[in-house]
Amino acid sequence: MILRRKSVEATVPSMAMGDIAFLLLIFIVLLARARDESHLVWQPATGTELVKPANRNASVVIDKQNVTYLNGRPVQVENLAAELEALLGDLPAGGRTVLFKVHKDVIAEFFEPAIEAVSEAGGELHHVLEPAPNPSAVP
Amino acid sequence: MKLRRPKYLVETPTSAMNDIAFILIVFFLVCASVEPEDGRSQVIPRSEKNEDRQTSQSTEVGLTPATVTIDGTPYRLNEFQSRIRQILAQKKTEAERVVVLKSQADVPYEHWIAMTGIIERAGGIVTLLLEEEQTVNLN
Repeated sequence: MILRRKSVEATVPSMAMGDIAFLLLIFIVLLARARDESHLVWQPATGTELVKPANRNASVVIDKQNVTYLNGRPVQVENLAAELEALLGDLPAGGRTVLFKVHKDVIAEFFEPAIEAVSEAGGELHHVLEPAPNPSAVP
Repeated sequence: MKLRRPKYLVETPTSAMNDIAFILIVFFLVCASVEPEDGRSQVIPRSEKNEDRQTSQSTEVGLTPATVTIDGTPYRLNEFQSRIRQILAQKKTEAERVVVLKSQADVPYEHWIAMTGIIERAGGIVTLLLEEEQTVNLN
């Protein structure tokens, strides 16, 4: 009697792969949002001869409502210098860049104390601006 | 005669789901990482050093939302650029090129960034003069 060998299918079950990928997607999106500042409403001022920052150690945002944020978290301007000092630690000069994102209509009363705080903490200020549509019009 | 009903494919094809999900992951990651960072770096001397630098040699620029003054003399915006260049061209040392910027509380950031840009392009070193609130008890 001849016994026939059972043919076994060896396919990778692809049914669960979709679910795994979607869980990964949610995980990564949640992680990205933790560092994200997209929920903050601010419109950059215009400027010319813009450059990319060499590095990015901290980010200070002053939004449309004049609220100051450090790395996406609201912070009192009085505490900004101390918190920045803790963040920047003993980083060497040239590696202490603080991105400074201010809504274009925010007045000096709110942004100058924040600039002073960055300076006090030894941060290297990098104003985030958008290129002027007509650079010759910018004084 | 028996007519057999044909078997239709009723299962959703899942083999392409992985590709779709991974493309979605890449899309969200790219979206999350595109944040504006271009801008202008600015060196603001630390406030404790400012006191030493604010000598009679340094130029004082006053900013209001509509006007700009150099050592108390008002200038139109188009005149300011040439005048500050003229003044700073005569200065030889770094200490002399310090420009003390005194802004009114209601100066918008866009105006401030444009004026400090002009000063820096002219070779000036911007330092801020902030008003401090002090409580004085009178007996």
